Amino acid sequence: MTRNLTQTVWICTLAIVTMGLLSLYSASYENVRVPHEIFYDQLLCVILGFLLMFFLGRIDYRKFYDLAYVLYILNIILLILVLVGGRYALGARRWFEVGGVSFQPSELTKLAMILLLGRYFSQYKPVRSLRYLGTMYVLWRELLFPFLLTLIPALLIFKQPDLGSAILIFGIFLTIVFLSGVDYRFIGGFLIVCLLASPFAWHILKPYQKDRLLVFLNPNVDPLGAGYTIIQSKIAVGSGQLFGKGWLSGTQNQLNFLPERHTDFIFSVIGEEWGLIGTLFLVVCYFVLIRTAIKIAEQNKDRFGALVTLGIVGILALQVTINVGMVLGLCPVVGITLPLVSYGRTSFIVFIIMMGFLLNLSRKRIVF
Amino acid sequence: MRLKILRIIIATAFLIIVLDLIYVQLIRGFYYHRLSINNRIRVIPFEGKRGRILDRNGVVLADNRISFDVMVTPQEMTGGKEELFALLSQVLGLEPEILWQRFNQKRSAPFAPVVIAEDISRHQVFLLEENRFRFPSLLIQENYRRLYPAREIGSHALGYVSKASPSQIQKLKAYGYTVEGLTGYAGVEEYYDAYLQGESGGLQVEVNSRGQQVRLLGIREPQSGKDVQLTIDSRIQRIAVESLQGATGTVIVMDMDTGEILGMVSSPAYDPNIFSDAKESQKTAAIFADPSSPMLNRAIKGLYPPGSVFKLPLAFAGLSNTLIDTSTTFECHGYFQLGQRQIRCVHTHGPQRLIEAIAHSCNVYFINTGLKVESDLMAKYARQFGLGQLTHIDLPFESGGLIPSQSQRRLSLKKSWYKGDTANLAIGQGEILVTPLQLLRMLAIIGRNGMEIQPFMVKAIDNQDVKRSYVPRRVAIDQKIFQIIKEGLHAAVTDEHGTARVLNIPGLFTAGKTGTAQSAPLRNHHAWFVGYTLSDKRRIVYCVFLEYGGSSYYATRAAYDMLVKMQKENII
Repeated sequence: MTRNLTQTVWICTLAIVTMGLLSLYSASYENVRVPHEIFYDQLLCVILGFLLMFFLGRIDYRKFYDLAYVLYILNIILLILVLVGGRYALGARRWFEVGGVSFQPSELTKLAMILLLGRYFSQYKPVRSLRYLGTMYVLWRELLFPFLLTLIPALLIFKQPDLGSAILIFGIFLTIVFLSGVDYRFIGGFLIVCLLASPFAWHILKPYQKDRLLVFLNPNVDPLGAGYTIIQSKIAVGSGQLFGKGWLSGTQNQLNFLPERHTDFIFSVIGEEWGLIGTLFLVVCYFVLIRTAIKIAEQNKDRFGALVTLGIVGILALQVTINVGMVLGLCPVVGITLPLVSYGRTSFIVFIIMMGFLLNLSRKRIVF
Repeated sequence: MRLKILRIIIATAFLIIVLDLIYVQLIRGFYYHRLSINNRIRVIPFEGKRGRILDRNGVVLADNRISFDVMVTPQEMTGGKEELFALLSQVLGLEPEILWQRFNQKRSAPFAPVVIAEDISRHQVFLLEENRFRFPSLLIQENYRRLYPAREIGSHALGYVSKASPSQIQKLKAYGYTVEGLTGYAGVEEYYDAYLQGESGGLQVEVNSRGQQVRLLGIREPQSGKDVQLTIDSRIQRIAVESLQGATGTVIVMDMDTGEILGMVSSPAYDPNIFSDAKESQKTAAIFADPSSPMLNRAIKGLYPPGSVFKLPLAFAGLSNTLIDTSTTFECHGYFQLGQRQIRCVHTHGPQRLIEAIAHSCNVYFINTGLKVESDLMAKYARQFGLGQLTHIDLPFESGGLIPSQSQRRLSLKKSWYKGDTANLAIGQGEILVTPLQLLRMLAIIGRNGMEIQPFMVKAIDNQDVKRSYVPRRVAIDQKIFQIIKEGLHAAVTDEHGTARVLNIPGLFTAGKTGTAQSAPLRNHHAWFVGYTLSDKRRIVYCVFLEYGGSSYYATRAAYDMLVKMQKENII
């Protein structure tokens, strides 16, 4: 059983990464606007990543339990530094240059938050009865304090600005809070407060973010501006039909009709060149990976391990569905990458570390 | 429990994605596939050469001349833009701002060359060619432009060529016309446009998201249009224009045996070259606004009262229904008294019988006859000779006209008909309107003893004679009656008091009818002469019409000039 879960994680990861590499090769094939170097760049990341994944699978994951707070504080420092002195690109400060290699702290935040919240909720098990402790105390301990811990990096990321990553951080928070067993009344109340606050949130959005949300409602309001991407990506995916136009033969891709096709919109390249067969294969791979991760969490007797696994499940499921939904026009365009496929060193390494955790956790189930 | 909820949420999200993928890629896949093709494929059209128009002897009436257009390809305009426009401005003698304006207005796609100036001189071509190597984006494109060597002469029959209007495009899109394409307007150019129009070819190119050409996918050579040979004789056209001497009006000449139109001119005329010459485009507006309507082809679209020419169908009606015969006599006192009203005759003709009445065009005789025949019968015979009806000549925008009568007025206007109306109709006045071509056809039918005839303009297309399935019918009138009327028509020329006696030219047998029709108040009368002339070479039927030309005498003078010249040039 253990073996099977480990194998499944390996096979799915390998399949997804291979598809990603092939489509990146195609997306950069003509070397126009998307330089061909990114393929080799990603290839290097993949090789390093698999080594990392292999080793992570062997060491004791509980070392990360000790590291959780350190990593969290380090990450906050990095997020502040990137706001002050980060590289300015695509209208946002998201990257650092470290020794000639750029680095995106907001991707690391995902990992840090999963570890932090996993440790926090494995320490403070939610109480079922509020009688012995005051309601306010329980509320503070189980919801508001962890929320505050989440809010700090989320706001720093939102400031960059990077709406997508900020949303994902909240997604991790909600997933772990929900699965750690916090009282439904608390979660319900929290969601209602969020809902009531959302009209105010509209005002703090940047104009281009508002545009994207409006365009999501109707892409044809601005077909050459904000709506262009979504129209072209739908044409790309749809024109792939059942079998696709073939690798390196997608016209939307090769003739540059798809902006951001190597990062956020890589799925449209796959849809165009591999057709429904390719997209279904990829989506099924993700689904199997997520199912396996849930199984791993179920079998894991260690609460920290289970919560970290579920955090990984949450971020993986959220990013895959939002990214694909974005390409298909089901969600607004918020700049979320496709895990393990989109180009991006930090993002790839962070996700491959998560896969390493899954490997690790799938073994460590009979520790206690 | 909470894990189960998580599983359900994730499974639902993935299910939605899978269903949408199936919807987008399978169900709507074909639609998106077509959109992706439209995204990347563009066509650069090349016009085909338009077919020529020739006269019956092979003289070219409409030709194509080579012109040179200056074009700039935006895609290749890398650097040196200012120098390029400075050079263009210097050579073309235009401000650089104007050139930039043109460039920005007309540019459509990076790969599509933009026309900066049309039809430049050879000298300018040389100056620009010398600098071609410095500017890869500069192009000198050879183009064809319509040329009408005869200019104004016969322009109405030919028509002209111009850029298709948006409404025309809508109509013709299905036939492969494009916005930049040229279309024939009016005359043969319009009626036979489908044959004259070349088949445009083009380049099919693949473009990227910026519209830049990536590769050439295919090429199709344009096809030239077909040459159209008319029945028109350019010598007759010239003679007809000369005989009109600049007066407003029209001359039509037709072969009486075949229906071939040998000549058709309308005056005032326009120069069709201005529509295809960029430098003269300002003149077009003036022509359309001219109150003397130079664009109007009076031969087929002008509607006029026929005047005394209408006495012919009236005579047929009287004789066929035995209301009169050749010995019926009416006395002419110089006017006809109808109640309070006096209708004047040209002279006091005294006692008149039919043949003399036709020759002298006596109003009194025909008003008396008309009152016997009544309006409905007159209209019936007029229609038998094709008056008030389309001739279906192969030209666009022909008018039908109107033959009023008692029942027509009652049916369509619900008004009464009076005796005075009958008297008016008998001498071709009042509401009656016909085209010159209709009167010509009537004379042809009379000359052919009742055999109908179809006038036409085109003899051959692409050197192949046009086959016509027209089978002439005979008008249901006794042959003897035709002989009587023809005698009258001949008498108009031979009788010493005949209205067309000037046409008594030695060597030619001529018969015909004059007409003077009242026009608008305070304006001169319209002058008509419609007749046929027989010689050893040819039997022709013709119509000379002068709008506000005064007396019919002037029309017979013009006809005389024409016949004499044609005789001199050995045409008849």
